[in-house]
Amino acid sequence: MIRIAGFPLVWGASTLLGLALVQPPALSAEPAPYREMERPLETYIPHASGDRKFSNTYRYWKDPKNLDWRLAGNPDENWKLNWKFMDPPFNQAIHGGHFALDRGESLYKFLNRGGSFAACLGAGKGGLKGLRTSYPRYDKTLKRVVGLEEKIQICGAIEGRVLENGSYDNSAISLYIAGFSKGMPMRIDVSKGPLKEAFERGRRLYHTRAGRMNFACATCHIHNVGKHLRGNTVTTPFGDVVHFPVYRTKYELQSLQLRFMECNLDTGTQPLLPGSPAYTDLEVFLSALSNGYAVTVPSERD
Amino acid sequence: MLPHLIAIGWGVLGLAVCSLAADLPGNLAIDPTAAIKTQVPRVVPNSGRLQWKPHSRDLTEWPSLGYQDKRPTPKPQVTRLEGPSNGDVARGLGIAMDPARGNCVACHQLPGDAWPGTVGNPLLHYRRYGHQDAQVYQQIFDARVFNPNSVMPAYGTFGILSDQDVRDLVAFLQSLD
Ligand code: HEC
Repeated sequence: MIRIAGFPLVWGASTLLGLALVQPPALSAEPAPYREMERPLETYIPHASGDRKFSNTYRYWKDPKNLDWRLAGNPDENWKLNWKFMDPPFNQAIHGGHFALDRGESLYKFLNRGGSFAACLGAGKGGLKGLRTSYPRYDKTLKRVVGLEEKIQICGAIEGRVLENGSYDNSAISLYIAGFSKGMPMRIDVSKGPLKEAFERGRRLYHTRAGRMNFACATCHIHNVGKHLRGNTVTTPFGDVVHFPVYRTKYELQSLQLRFMECNLDTGTQPLLPGSPAYTDLEVFLSALSNGYAVTVPSERD
Repeated sequence: MLPHLIAIGWGVLGLAVCSLAADLPGNLAIDPTAAIKTQVPRVVPNSGRLQWKPHSRDLTEWPSLGYQDKRPTPKPQVTRLEGPSNGDVARGLGIAMDPARGNCVACHQLPGDAWPGTVGNPLLHYRRYGHQDAQVYQQIFDARVFNPNSVMPAYGTFGILSDQDVRDLVAFLQSLD
């Protein structure tokens, strides 16, 4: 015989409606405090080298030009290289990312024929050079933090073109823009102001459990790095964002926020829409963990 | 104003972000009118729009990471299994291996699997740990009772597996010598 003690929790519509009525909707609200957290709620140095405190694989991948190829040949060790920008079937010469770059270039040039598209994206005197490395950023017009792909969508709409966040064309333009920062380190300043707040919210979210499995991002990416999940090995979250959007055999072109959706779906968590405030905070958090690490595009992953 | 009305500003993808009734928070990738509300994005080459197709399972009943989602994590549930599990070993094996049900094998090593997970401890000779059926039942139903930080999904509390499913898994594990 089974007796179940404790809290039988049923999310009836009435309960939720009740909640909705008493709780003021706040887009920038704290992640729900009544969620379980993946503990400890670590502090993170907002730089790729912060990995030293976590997977401590930084020494293997900090210099992409001098990877230790002996690790590559060892299936138990190659995750330490964190070389996700050239996972098999990477082909230096030509892969889907190159086609996307071409598409991005022609779209960008068309949209920017009057120069207003670049201005809208925040390109200064240096043009597109370095632009990628300073996104996500605080947007004075919108009065909130935006990621590059969300900004592309907004600026595209001003030029009369639909560029949904996460769509091929949007990511292709993002990739083209990233190409101008190739080899340049990410540098987003999360030490003060709205970006610091977004980083803090992102950090909490990274440790917030959700979904059918009650996993947090940190459950895998902090506490199970180097472990196998079936055919996959979980790697460090440091240094991730520099190779996005990435060409994927299955996904064509995948933006960072579409990857969040994928990880959510894989763990039975209802995904959010690209550009939603929670995903943007996660993007700020992960982008800061790539500070100091060079943009590497176009890249490819299985 | 209700959260789902605020959410409309974010509904940029042609997906309705407000649900039919006011029962789901905003910002979820859902089609509220579909049988399976959870939607998966598909990237279409040379297009400025995403395509959406239903996921294999509706995930809207569990909390998401959205800021408008105020649903709490279900609390740990204590169970009392009295007597033996009376489970079915063969069914238990099936549940353990099935990615859509137990999927134990994703994290644990089980006999006859080529790609064992290494997140959880190996279960190859589970019986030798000498746990009582009631303890094993609780571990599967809701492991947080033993360890609040447990990574293991609370299969019972979260409604992933039924009482009988959990009994079958207990019987299966206790058969591994
Ligand atoms: C069940 C474990 C698990 C959970 C939970 C999980 N992921 Fe992942 N994630 C993986 C695996 C496995 C990969 C593929 C291997 C790798 O790149 O580490 C991956 C890859 C990624 C990548 C791509 C890395 C790259 O550079 O290509 C990102 C970004 C990512 N996850 C973010 C997240 C975020 C954000 C969350 C929380 C919303 C999350 N993940 C939750 C297992 C998980």
